[in-house]
Amino acid sequence: MTATPADGDDQPRRLPLVVVLLLPIALVNALGFVVPTLNLLRMSFFEAQGTGAMQEVFTLATWQKVFTDSFYAELILNSISTSFLITVLTLLCSYPIALYLHRSSGLWRSVLLVLVIAPLLTSAVVRTYGWIVILFENGLINNALAAVGIGRVRMIFNKTGVTIGLTEILMPYMILALMAGFGKLDARIEEAAASLGASPMRVFRHIVLPLTLPGIALGSLLCFVLAVSSFITPKLLGGGRVFLLATEIYDQAIVTLNWPVASSLSILILLIFGTALLLYTRALNAAT
Amino acid sequence: MDERPISLPLKLLALTMFVFLLAPLLVVLPISFSGDNYMIFPPTSWSTRWYGAIFTDAKMTSAFSSSLALASVVTLLSLAIGLPAAYALVRLKPPGAAALSSFFTAPLLLPTIVLGLAILIVFSVYGLLGTFQGLIAAHLVVTLPYAIRVLSTALSTLPITFEEAAASLGASPMTVFRRVTLPMMRSGIIGTTALCFLVSFDEVVLSLFLTGPRLTTLPVAMFHRVEQQADPMVASLSVLLVALTLAVVLIVDRTSGLARTFVK
Amino acid sequence: MSNQESGAGGKSGDAFLSLRGLTKRYGDFLAVDHMNLEVPKGELVAFLGPSGCGKTTSLRMIAGLTPQSEGRIIVGGDDLTGVPTYKRDMGLVFQSYALFPHMSVERNIGFGLEMRGIARDEFANRVRDAVALVHLTGMEKRRPAQLSGGQQQRVALARALVIRPAILLLDEPLSNLDAKLRDEMRNEIRDIQKRLGITAVFVTHDQSEALTMCDKVVVMNHGRLEQVGAPTELYEQPRTAFVAGFVGRMSRIRAMARNGSTAFAGQRLPVPAGLDGPIDIMIRPHRIAIGPVVSEETRHQVTGTIVRTVFVGDILQYDVDVAGQIVSVELSTRGNESLLKPGAPVSLSWGPRDVYVFGAAP
Repeated sequence: MTATPADGDDQPRRLPLVVVLLLPIALVNALGFVVPTLNLLRMSFFEAQGTGAMQEVFTLATWQKVFTDSFYAELILNSISTSFLITVLTLLCSYPIALYLHRSSGLWRSVLLVLVIAPLLTSAVVRTYGWIVILFENGLINNALAAVGIGRVRMIFNKTGVTIGLTEILMPYMILALMAGFGKLDARIEEAAASLGASPMRVFRHIVLPLTLPGIALGSLLCFVLAVSSFITPKLLGGGRVFLLATEIYDQAIVTLNWPVASSLSILILLIFGTALLLYTRALNAAT
Repeated sequence: MDERPISLPLKLLALTMFVFLLAPLLVVLPISFSGDNYMIFPPTSWSTRWYGAIFTDAKMTSAFSSSLALASVVTLLSLAIGLPAAYALVRLKPPGAAALSSFFTAPLLLPTIVLGLAILIVFSVYGLLGTFQGLIAAHLVVTLPYAIRVLSTALSTLPITFEEAAASLGASPMTVFRRVTLPMMRSGIIGTTALCFLVSFDEVVLSLFLTGPRLTTLPVAMFHRVEQQADPMVASLSVLLVALTLAVVLIVDRTSGLARTFVK
Repeated sequence: MSNQESGAGGKSGDAFLSLRGLTKRYGDFLAVDHMNLEVPKGELVAFLGPSGCGKTTSLRMIAGLTPQSEGRIIVGGDDLTGVPTYKRDMGLVFQSYALFPHMSVERNIGFGLEMRGIARDEFANRVRDAVALVHLTGMEKRRPAQLSGGQQQRVALARALVIRPAILLLDEPLSNLDAKLRDEMRNEIRDIQKRLGITAVFVTHDQSEALTMCDKVVVMNHGRLEQVGAPTELYEQPRTAFVAGFVGRMSRIRAMARNGSTAFAGQRLPVPAGLDGPIDIMIRPHRIAIGPVVSEETRHQVTGTIVRTVFVGDILQYDVDVAGQIVSVELSTRGNESLLKPGAPVSLSWGPRDVYVFGAAP
């Protein structure tokens, strides 16, 4: 017997049961997600006093500070520009892998796919630590450079290190997003172009690239958003000397105990998210 | 796909990028066997002393058992809360089920730094900071969306005729769930267990906000160690963690097929 | 349009299964429209109709899997309204068999007994008997995945029968089997049903299946009960154009009725009283005689031209153009006839009792 369309008239009978079954998760969601997030918004309208105490009075002082203080302006700009750079680099590094995976098949493809996904299952701390080992003074690269005679380069506890590390860490996300968007890419289309006289470079520029734009857009959005809100890697690879939104939020919350500022910076991250999503949707609509 | 030879430049480029992708994980393994007191790559001597050091470090071992206990409890609770919810959404199909499902998955949209701060502020009022219960609650917020997704998928791909057949043979709804629905959801349940366990075990940002001097998790302990005195012990810990993850993944794949569990 | 009440052979008091005004509504859509039916004990009844006619929905309502919008279902004197499926004493055989893949044949069959708390000895005996009943002795420990389609079907049947239900419900159980297996299973199911004397409802869209297997056939269309009767009754005395066309093959002619008669291809044909306007004239293709013109007064006669000849082996089919409409004629092949060619003018005739006339939609 195939299932018939929803037996609507059962609803009044079953509703109590549905409520009981959904209650636990609704509670967790409400108390652990909705309430805290709304409270965050509320908190951004308070102001912390110098003593560390907090006045629960509605004020725009904190928001004013965030928007006018040059430190915060620089912080926000820094975060956005660094994330943007990271996104571009991640795209450039991930595209070849994604294309290669898309064109391969069988067991080899499955193995490679597992290798791409595997890093996602390990902790960010582990992966960041790996980068410290590679980048720091006595690490892989510098020791290699020293052995060859080139001097040591400072790649850690600065923006360079954070950029390199975060780029690699975000690659799996970009690769998967690209591959998802590669759906329309069919070998036959490329062959048709080649048969019409297009060189491989041209085929890439005029056929492959345009067709994979949706994947590129999606991956870029994902990467940008993850980069802007990334904490572990900037904190560890930056060594406390790189100031980005996420690290500042943590410092304000745990060290300075200025929760209103931390809250407003968090809301700011969410606003950046929203803007990025808006631009993405606009771009997508414009393309179709 | 047609068997088309992939151009050499693409192959080389892709493989180079692959090395870049796997570099940190590849580097961690050798340095975990370093015999040096400090971090030097390549190590000047080899030994397993840092593996041994883990077990003699009281802070690390207690952090490890805390993480283990935490992840286990969180996983069990995720199943206990997620299963009824998935059943309600997929089988009982209340009005607005799709919206509810999206609502329950929403926490994943928030970056953990923001969620961590938000929970910190609220939990401080209720004295849940630095407590095991607080950590459980926070972890549940991020594991439940995964639980609901995987369990809902498993349930919706299960044809309802089996449950109808059992009912027609005299099985009450509870019995149907126990004897037919659950066994047939086995691979989904195993996948959920693995996923929730790993997500909780590896969760670091949320835990950073909610741990205290008396209670810490392994990722947090590792974080602080890297922050303060990055040494090969973190590498040994990492190798163990990766091994643990691999073991879990293999078990899931063995019992139910990895791709099938997560891909609709 | 009112629905027929089945009364053939039994008073309401004899009915084991009663459907009174059974209705199922989905929003504005009526899937089942006030169905009334009385089924005596031990009878095998077919619900026959095209897909979407409401036959499966009706069956599901009897089983309690779909709640009814209106109406009552009475089995053995008990009104089952509001009784959940697992408390109804029914055996269900699904189209997809729905065998529990994580249980062996034995445990599948024994599941219903387990639910009823049957003691171990009796349990083993009844399962063994059920397995033997469907000729699957030796396969008890196998899993459904290791069985062929026909074997799975039998397990499903055994599982439904072993609990000795008051009613056996089968939802197109044979559609997934190939033709040969289907014939075999048809007979087996019928034999078992008769032997156990169990009241059964059999849903199918295949009219030959319904006619060959069942004591009574319920023809449904658009949620309504068109006609209920024994197979011969439906074949020889269809009460609506739909039943006439659905059960067996029919040649159909559209015409207009006026004042008790109709003119078609130059012939005047009588029309049952009360019919006016567009009508469907239907005749069984093998009851039309084709050939030279005869002068019998008792037969209706029209002339036409052969459009197509189809040789089907057992049967020779002629499609004849009569006044712009195609009439199909069937003859049993005898091996010595000369085939009439397309373009040949012929005369078709039939006896007045072989024709059915129904009012048609404009």
